[in-house]
Amino acid sequence: MDMDFDLLPDELELLEESYRINEEYSHFDPTTEPYPYEEEEEDEHLQQQQQQQQQSTSKAKSPFPEAQINDHKRTRPSDGPDASAEGVFRPSDEKRSRIDEDIVLDEDEGLLRYLPPEVTEPIVEEIVENVEEEKVLWRFASEIDGDFIPITAPSGGDRVYAKVTTEEMNERREKLYLKTPSAGLIGESIDVLLHKVEQEAFTKSLRASSGSQSEMVLSETPVVHEQLWVDKYAPFSFTELLSDEHTNREVLLWLKQWDSCVYGSEVRSTSTEVLSALRRHSSVGQHHKFSGSNSSRNNKGSRWNKENFKQSDDSENKNANSVAAQDLWNKKTRCTGPPEQKILLLCGPPGLGKTTLAHVAARHCGYRVVEINASDDRSSATIEAKIIDVVQTNSVTVDTRPKCLVIDEIDGALGDGKGAVEVILKMVSADKKSDGGKENVANEDNAQKTSSKKGRKSEPLSRPVICICNDLYAPALRPLRQVAKVHVFVQPTVSRVVSRLKYICNKEGMKTSSIGLTALADYTECDIRSCLNTLQFLHKKKESLNVLEVGSQVVGRKDMSKSVFDIWKEVFQKRKPKRERRSNNSSQTNFNEFDSLHSLISSRGDYDLIMDGIHENILQLHYHDPVMQKTVKCFDNLGVSDYMHQYIMRTQQMSLYAYQPAIAITIHRMVAQIQKPNIEWPKSNQRCRTMVIEKRDTLSSWFHTIPPHISRHLSPTSFVEESVSLLLHILSPSTLRPAALNSLSEKEKADLDQLVGKMVSYSLTYKNVKSNPLPSDLGNGATSDVTVLAFDPPIADFINFKGYKSGHYVLALAMKQVMVNEVEKQKILQVSTRRFASLTNGGNEGNQVLLGEETSRSQPDKAAKIFGKTSRPSNPSISTTSCNSDSSRSGTTASVNLKSAKPPKRSSTSFFDRFKRIGTGSQNSENVVPKEETAERDLRPLLFKFNEGFTNAVKRPVRIREFLL
Amino acid sequence: MLWVDKYRPKTLDHALVHEDVAQNLKKLVTEQDCPHLLFYGPSGSGKKTLIMALIRQMFGASAEKVKVENRTWKVDAGSRTIDLELTTLSSTNHVELNPSDAGFQDRYIVQEIIKEMAKNRPIDTKGRKGYKVLVLNEVDKLSREAQNSLRRTMEKYSAYCRLILCCNSSSKVSEAIRSRCLNVRINAPSEEQIVKVLEFIGKKEGLHIPSGFAARLAEKSNRSLRRAILSFETCRVQQYPFTSNQTIPPMDWEEYISEIASDIMKEQSPKRLYQVRLKIYELLVNCIPPEIILKRLLYELLRKLDAELKHEVCHWAAYYEHRMRLGQKAIFHIEAFVAKFMSIYKSFLIATFG
Repeated sequence: MDMDFDLLPDELELLEESYRINEEYSHFDPTTEPYPYEEEEEDEHLQQQQQQQQQSTSKAKSPFPEAQINDHKRTRPSDGPDASAEGVFRPSDEKRSRIDEDIVLDEDEGLLRYLPPEVTEPIVEEIVENVEEEKVLWRFASEIDGDFIPITAPSGGDRVYAKVTTEEMNERREKLYLKTPSAGLIGESIDVLLHKVEQEAFTKSLRASSGSQSEMVLSETPVVHEQLWVDKYAPFSFTELLSDEHTNREVLLWLKQWDSCVYGSEVRSTSTEVLSALRRHSSVGQHHKFSGSNSSRNNKGSRWNKENFKQSDDSENKNANSVAAQDLWNKKTRCTGPPEQKILLLCGPPGLGKTTLAHVAARHCGYRVVEINASDDRSSATIEAKIIDVVQTNSVTVDTRPKCLVIDEIDGALGDGKGAVEVILKMVSADKKSDGGKENVANEDNAQKTSSKKGRKSEPLSRPVICICNDLYAPALRPLRQVAKVHVFVQPTVSRVVSRLKYICNKEGMKTSSIGLTALADYTECDIRSCLNTLQFLHKKKESLNVLEVGSQVVGRKDMSKSVFDIWKEVFQKRKPKRERRSNNSSQTNFNEFDSLHSLISSRGDYDLIMDGIHENILQLHYHDPVMQKTVKCFDNLGVSDYMHQYIMRTQQMSLYAYQPAIAITIHRMVAQIQKPNIEWPKSNQRCRTMVIEKRDTLSSWFHTIPPHISRHLSPTSFVEESVSLLLHILSPSTLRPAALNSLSEKEKADLDQLVGKMVSYSLTYKNVKSNPLPSDLGNGATSDVTVLAFDPPIADFINFKGYKSGHYVLALAMKQVMVNEVEKQKILQVSTRRFASLTNGGNEGNQVLLGEETSRSQPDKAAKIFGKTSRPSNPSISTTSCNSDSSRSGTTASVNLKSAKPPKRSSTSFFDRFKRIGTGSQNSENVVPKEETAERDLRPLLFKFNEGFTNAVKRPVRIREFLL
Repeated sequence: MLWVDKYRPKTLDHALVHEDVAQNLKKLVTEQDCPHLLFYGPSGSGKKTLIMALIRQMFGASAEKVKVENRTWKVDAGSRTIDLELTTLSSTNHVELNPSDAGFQDRYIVQEIIKEMAKNRPIDTKGRKGYKVLVLNEVDKLSREAQNSLRRTMEKYSAYCRLILCCNSSSKVSEAIRSRCLNVRINAPSEEQIVKVLEFIGKKEGLHIPSGFAARLAEKSNRSLRRAILSFETCRVQQYPFTSNQTIPPMDWEEYISEIASDIMKEQSPKRLYQVRLKIYELLVNCIPPEIILKRLLYELLRKLDAELKHEVCHWAAYYEHRMRLGQKAIFHIEAFVAKFMSIYKSFLIATFG
């Protein structure tokens, strides 16, 4: 069937063009006949190899000797035709490597053909199917004997019939099934794979036929239910991905690191195989075919490697690389358990294929993808349920592959999206906690048991989670950014996109020129989705892509808001001169630049931040400015922007914001350079603001502790401006000699007292602070942990400017300690004297009344309740109650109140005498008026309570200040 | 206690500077009625001292018993209620507060507290209904809204309370308020007055002041009495028998600014500008107001500048200060000034020396 042959070269062309981008093949002829087959076969071969690999690994456990199969593979080719082929085809310089690949492929083919039929028969069969399409598809059902399936082409409505060769497939399936009792390595079971292969063959042929049909049919019957091209041509396998190779590989590597955790111990056996796939993919840019087969050969034995070494110097390089990669890989796989960062965060502008990559990579590694996107309910409860569902994989359903969670558009919804982020973070942190205690369990079941036992709260993350976002710097993602492995998507090269577009166009039978496609890709900034949609739209309208009118003709530029970083970059960086060349004159360029920048900035909004960023980074640029005129202009503009911003905020005239982008553009015109600017996030302004607030708070809270007659005259600004330096000078006099208190002279003592008074009146003290080593004394790093006595409200910080040494004298440590004690003492004294003063001033009389009340209440005689001091002497039982507990309490309070400077000298000597006398007095003469007694008691500073029969028979209340004095 | 606080005049009679103002105020109060007052003048000139003495004159010694309160107000502002917290000093007859601490919600504070004062009117000794005094500090930092709302309340509640407003510059107080108050300008004390005060303190402390020393202190003090007294005490602490050429400790931030100025004079380039920016940030972080930084920077630059350029530089400093007050991000404007200066200076250097 000729159509098939027409089609396949196209596909190849795509692939080849993409190779050509990276590697300049001067000459490459894809239309050779055998080539497509080889290509296809190689895929087939790879798959088969995978199967065999699997078989062998599974075999390794069984007693059945695996060598049988492997030996087949190893020995056969060596004496097969490839050896001779190698000898025959000696490559010319230019095409050496390519022909190498041919050789290799030939070998593969040979290998396939020469393999014993019981192993490879079905595959040969498939190949035959591919080669000889006539046997599979018929126009009429009557031509087929046996089973057949009717197939209708999706576009044309054509109907063909396919023969079904079930017997062989069944046979094979059973065989394979027997040999692979546990389909552990590949996510899909072998029969699913086979089914897919079959399906693919069918769709391919169908597509070919429909493609050729559509050319005729399309004109009269436009298709109604056409699939979107975006979906139709979505990459299905890893190699088809258009996105950046490096990113692809990293994602795959990350996913593979999960293997040990998800698939258990079989990771080692897969590693080489995956590595080969990886390497094959990684080398796509340079020697696709060659290294692909080369690395697959790696599995079989080093002998081949050596031969390849001899063959070409190129390959040596390659292999060295791959060996290094293998080392790295081994290192990585050796540490079991999930990767360090459990979350992968993919970010990039829309339409570059982030979602596709996540899906394809996950599928490639054998996961079943569970996607949560903005359309789903993303409250934290739902998310958590979903994640737990993902974690506990062994569901009863047919699809036993482990699941991989893809959270799409995680930056999208702020409120709900945050829920997702929180849940994930919680799980990650739970994981980190449990990591220490729990051994990394290789056994999956074990891990699951423990995790399920733990319950919902601290469910660790045991399946890969891929998050996808557009704006990496969305505020909701800030916490996630720290724990996740972040990959930023970069635009694929235009030529790659174009080649893919061309391929699709050719398939769809649309006539396009590569110039037009390039323009389109450029215009959409390599947004593949948008390109495809546009093309399909044009195709529907039966228009061709017009190079010059891409802007007007096509649906239009998408209104894309870029991240602030991109905007700053745009502002600071001149566009490549390439662009200027393309447009006709310079004014056109200016206009374009102006326009694009304007739309970019205005679609972003947030001018405040943009200006801050410009301000932060502008001085780091290297623009030519001998007399600083440019700088002056830039700063003038920034000032205008600030002024404008303030005005807008005050008057709420938001329409004035329209003028903000112009300022940025002016600055761009002034300072933009070609070289890439190094842009930092504008922190310093923010930092300054928060620090000022913080310091002001310290000051004002300090002022509140100062007595009002001083503090009312202080304000933060005037204090910092006029007082702080001098105050520090005053508080640390250099004349104060660090010596013990008692060794100071009278004058020094007076000075010290004054100093303490000052500190107390300003409620300052010294406090132990961890000294952060100043840049000046970095030399002695040992002191970094030493605590230092510093002023308690840290007022010394206010003169602590970076790179400035103040000439302040600092008191010696011993002196500071003395000061601390003195200040404390003074404070206590002050407080107590103040209380005392208030008591004596305000409530002396009242106290007396109270005292009298208490004593009188304690008496049994209620009727004699008389208040006041004057009545008390008439009370006969007063002397007895002095022994009573109640009255003694009141007595002590009284003693405090009436505390005089007279020390209680007498108390100790006449202690018992006194009580005896009182006691006898009270016992003997009840009706004696003890006027003198009370008077005496009031005179004395202290009263004692005698507790008979107790060890603490005598209690005497003592105040702290009595010790201090 | 520091001398600043120790020798602060407690009554209007004891005022050492602004005696005339003090006497006028005394007359005003003794006639039993007093209009709203607006005190304005630079910091360190004695506004607060005069106000406190005035209040003492009004209410006697009881005005000195103040309590510090950290109060919260629940303000009903239309649809929502706002919780505001502010520290006030209050005695039985007067309340002091700093409404600008409440930020942009200062207007509620002012209204709320005035209404509250109107509610419980004190009765004076003779049984007549008296009034309370509300002292508002830093009125120039009040928002425009608060000033506008103050306008009406001042009139409405004038029977119940008198306002004493205090600010540094009357230009930031709206015309309406200024016209409702008796404006009292407290200018910075002259150097002779400062010398007089210093000598008074010296006598009280029993210190011998060598001739010329007090004058030097006064000169260095920028005509701020507070600063003069503080540096006097600093000198006393550092070295007692005074010598007339004793070093007077400088303010640290001023030193730092002069470092910046010499940086600017040494090299004019965007790179140097960046270093200057970092230093200015340091100053700003330490709560030094940007206007003062700019002013001081200009002063330091002018000292080192050729006379030819002085006029132009002053012009630009004024220009950028104006912008700074209009705008919000002070650093932009200070830097713009520095850039402008660099540009002017560099082209001058190139023109003169080739």
